[in-house]
Amino acid sequence: MTEKLYVEVLGGMSDGRHGDMVEMTLAEVVLADTSSVRKRSRAFRELNSILTVMAREITLLLKSPSTLVVSLAMPIMMMGMIGGNLMQNMAGGLGFDFGSFMLVGMLVNMLFMMVSMNMTSLVEDRETDFNQEMLVSPVSRYSLVIGKILGATFGAILSMVGALLVGLAMGITLPVEKLLLILALSPLFCLTGGALAMMLIGLIRSKKAANMAVTLITMPQMFLSGAIIPINHSDGLLMVLSRLMPMTYCLDLARAVVNAGTPEYDSVVMFDPIVNFAAIAALTLVCLVAGTFFYAQSGKNR
Amino acid sequence: MSTVIEVRNLVKRYKGAKTPSVDDISFSVERGEFFAFLGPNGAGKTTTISILTTTLSKTSGEVRIAGFDVARQARQVREKVGIIFQQPSLDPNLTAEENIRFHACLYGMYGYRPSFRLMPAAYQSKVIELAELVGIEDALFKPIKKLSGGMQRKLEIIRSLIHTPDVLFLDEPTQGLDAVSRRSLWEYLDETRRRYGTTVFLTTHYIDEAEQVDTVCIINRGRIAVCASPEEMRRAVRFDPTPKVCLPSLEDAYVAFLKEGVAA
Repeated sequence: MTEKLYVEVLGGMSDGRHGDMVEMTLAEVVLADTSSVRKRSRAFRELNSILTVMAREITLLLKSPSTLVVSLAMPIMMMGMIGGNLMQNMAGGLGFDFGSFMLVGMLVNMLFMMVSMNMTSLVEDRETDFNQEMLVSPVSRYSLVIGKILGATFGAILSMVGALLVGLAMGITLPVEKLLLILALSPLFCLTGGALAMMLIGLIRSKKAANMAVTLITMPQMFLSGAIIPINHSDGLLMVLSRLMPMTYCLDLARAVVNAGTPEYDSVVMFDPIVNFAAIAALTLVCLVAGTFFYAQSGKNR
Repeated sequence: MSTVIEVRNLVKRYKGAKTPSVDDISFSVERGEFFAFLGPNGAGKTTTISILTTTLSKTSGEVRIAGFDVARQARQVREKVGIIFQQPSLDPNLTAEENIRFHACLYGMYGYRPSFRLMPAAYQSKVIELAELVGIEDALFKPIKKLSGGMQRKLEIIRSLIHTPDVLFLDEPTQGLDAVSRRSLWEYLDETRRRYGTTVFLTTHYIDEAEQVDTVCIINRGRIAVCASPEEMRRAVRFDPTPKVCLPSLEDAYVAFLKEGVAA
């Protein structure tokens, strides 16, 4: 015989009972429970959605050994090969420690590059139709995009750690407290990089085109933002382009943190940190709004 | 009964298309009704379902789900509906349970936890109960890639029902399934309708699946050909069966309406 339970109805019953003690089987309680627990605040639901989407990205990364290997191998190529060559051939007569300059540049560049690469999973979701599952859910499209970017941040931070290890092998180190400050800023940098990537990826429907878009996003930034080559003396079109790149301000902020209180500060840092913060906030907001709009509308307005 | 789906003069013309895919259609569905939306390939069924579920914008007309406008109150509409798409929309790299958990958390049913065991007891028991109902309890923790097409379809049904939607849209849900899987899936959907009183909006190419529905609406070349009960449709067509006492099947009536435009 099925045992009956006496329970108080707190909300969510389709027949409008509220505050009553009612007799229910265990199965009925389980079924009723789901409609009650949904009565959560909007803020909780949006944060929960961000966490859910982020956790899925991290789960997928952990289940894909090849992506993990790429995350760790990329710094060897970027930092070890490109950076190593530049150090050996360009470091003289700059008036500051090029090794430290390049390490900070590579750390921020790795974040931007890996976040952009990981954001292409959005296109995979379109190809497997999983995107539909997300788009029919009753959550803000911003929560979906921010969750995606924060999930992509996990892989990007792994690459940053890889770059630090390669730097260590090359004899370039940073004080621990400065490293922790950069680590604390890295989610902001990833949000900026991810929002920028969304501007292009939000419109793209094929993986091949998305991979090309990543190259289009990351390569000009690496050279124009001063990741590995100083841009203090750039002028004309190159100067204008460098000021339009969000990574320019992220790099400058990171270098301001690393060089604070050192005699090299004025030779390495271009803008006041407040200017950097303001530019990062403004560019991230513009990219995030535009990218999310493209993402939400690209399938809807056909 | 109250109206849960209301469509008035709906038009959808895709960008660059010369003719509309959905051309001034109107119909309504009552709460708890089992409604079938039938039509040949390219008739406008999926276009209509996409507009009703907020994934496609309309060109003109009015669509309300549970009293909410699909264009202006999309979020509220999404709260009320569950969808099984024509193409499977599961993440092939996650396990069956991870796909369900993703959905349940995205719909605000539960706070996210990184594993099934850490999820609330109510979630665990509900998932296991639903999995047992459709017979996929052994596959719950296997990657989607390792599940058969039938199991994936059942999993999508569990996923779409876990937030107890008012309206369940099924866009050709049994496409590609064998007869046994089709039958068990329909038994489960019947059980769900009885337990939850869910309104079901079905599109299908298997006309026999629509024999038990309350209302059939046939769409052809973007326009509604007929909206009636299966019984009314069968009685409206001229048919000469042997023995003479038999009524035509719904499939006979469906073909007759498409070919001859018989008025119900």
